[in-house]
Amino acid sequence: MQSSLVLQNLLSAPVLFFFLGILAVVLGSDLEIPSPLPKLFSLYLLLAIGFRGGVELVHSGLGSLVLLTIGAAVLMSVLVPISSFLLLRTQLDPYNAAAIAASYGSISAVTFITAQSFLNVLKVPYDGFMVAALALMESPAIVVGVVMAKLAGGAAASTDPQEAQGLRWREILQEAFLNGSIFLLIGSLVIGYLVAAFSPAGVEKMEPFTEKLFYGALCFFLLDMGLIAAQRLQDLRKAGPFLIGFAVLAPLLHALVGLGIARVLGINQGDSLLFMVLCASASYIAVPAAMRMTVPQANPSLYISTALGVTFPFNVVVGIPIYMALVQRFIPAG
Amino acid sequence: MKRIDLFLSEREIDKVCKALRQAGAPGYSVMRHVTGMGLGGEISEAMDFSSFGANAHLIVFCQPELVAAIQESVKPLLQRFGGVGFLSEAEPF
Repeated sequence: MQSSLVLQNLLSAPVLFFFLGILAVVLGSDLEIPSPLPKLFSLYLLLAIGFRGGVELVHSGLGSLVLLTIGAAVLMSVLVPISSFLLLRTQLDPYNAAAIAASYGSISAVTFITAQSFLNVLKVPYDGFMVAALALMESPAIVVGVVMAKLAGGAAASTDPQEAQGLRWREILQEAFLNGSIFLLIGSLVIGYLVAAFSPAGVEKMEPFTEKLFYGALCFFLLDMGLIAAQRLQDLRKAGPFLIGFAVLAPLLHALVGLGIARVLGINQGDSLLFMVLCASASYIAVPAAMRMTVPQANPSLYISTALGVTFPFNVVVGIPIYMALVQRFIPAG
Repeated sequence: MKRIDLFLSEREIDKVCKALRQAGAPGYSVMRHVTGMGLGGEISEAMDFSSFGANAHLIVFCQPELVAAIQESVKPLLQRFGGVGFLSEAEPF
């Protein structure tokens, strides 16, 4: 692997701020970010990336390659939780296996944004329609995760009379499609598309908010992620070596499958990296919130600490440059 | 007069408040951003961005005859989503 790729990633501002957050916890600094701010920044990042993705979607259009790529992404968000569940079920109860599998079938928007920033540094072009793939990969993974938990866990064994009669479809669909972060991301994507298509002047007016503030907000959010990831390291003791191994190896395996799909589809290098990152990342915002409501039997410290404490840092620090090196090796340039 | 203290995740406040109203509670107070230590470990606001934030503390004062209805209404939610409830005597002044 080219060492320059690793260095360029490690020395990018978002990753450095991520390390700063980790360092603060390790050294016992009293650095603390007031709780409303990370939530505000996460909402801002979703709004900005959704809006920008919608605008780019107008430029790239909805051709067959775009639709095929989005379809492949949605398919991965169904297949990854199923395969992960089968593997995890060998060591875990059905509820925890399903919740973790759903996390890995879904995506991490911040990992995706960090990969976009990495591509910007490398000056590798990518298309905006990948944001549509990002938005559409959250919900299927949640639905698949909940269905597997109920099927394998046995709805009849539940103490809840409503649940004993079968799946709470209304609640599942509510969490899968109307969960705040998913709703904002898809809504911003649609707004970006509509504004760019019918009122292009509006895109320019939004630019100071969606473009100029974006990089700084990402750095700030990653600083908070560094703090939280380091705090979550204690929870990993509960996870044990099997889950820690899964949290490192699963992203690599899913990224390789993503690479294969990208090569078959013939998408460009930038989009191939983003596709791999979507396949490799794990959700720690939308899915945990949905799992808490729909699979409360699962232990949050397991599915949050693996996704946030291991897979997220792994992808952001070493995963992205590894995936980029693979892209440069196997995906033809230009 | 009885006092009911409920500790639950902030995310389930609306559900529990609705259950309290349906059970006929005359009123309740909600305190958000409750952090500390529970049976499941530390409760903090660190994960607030993912709806896994702090706890809430709900306090209900009611007549003794309402307690059973409130317990029946709220208990399934606490069992399903996690949370604890305590019943004690209260004396208005």
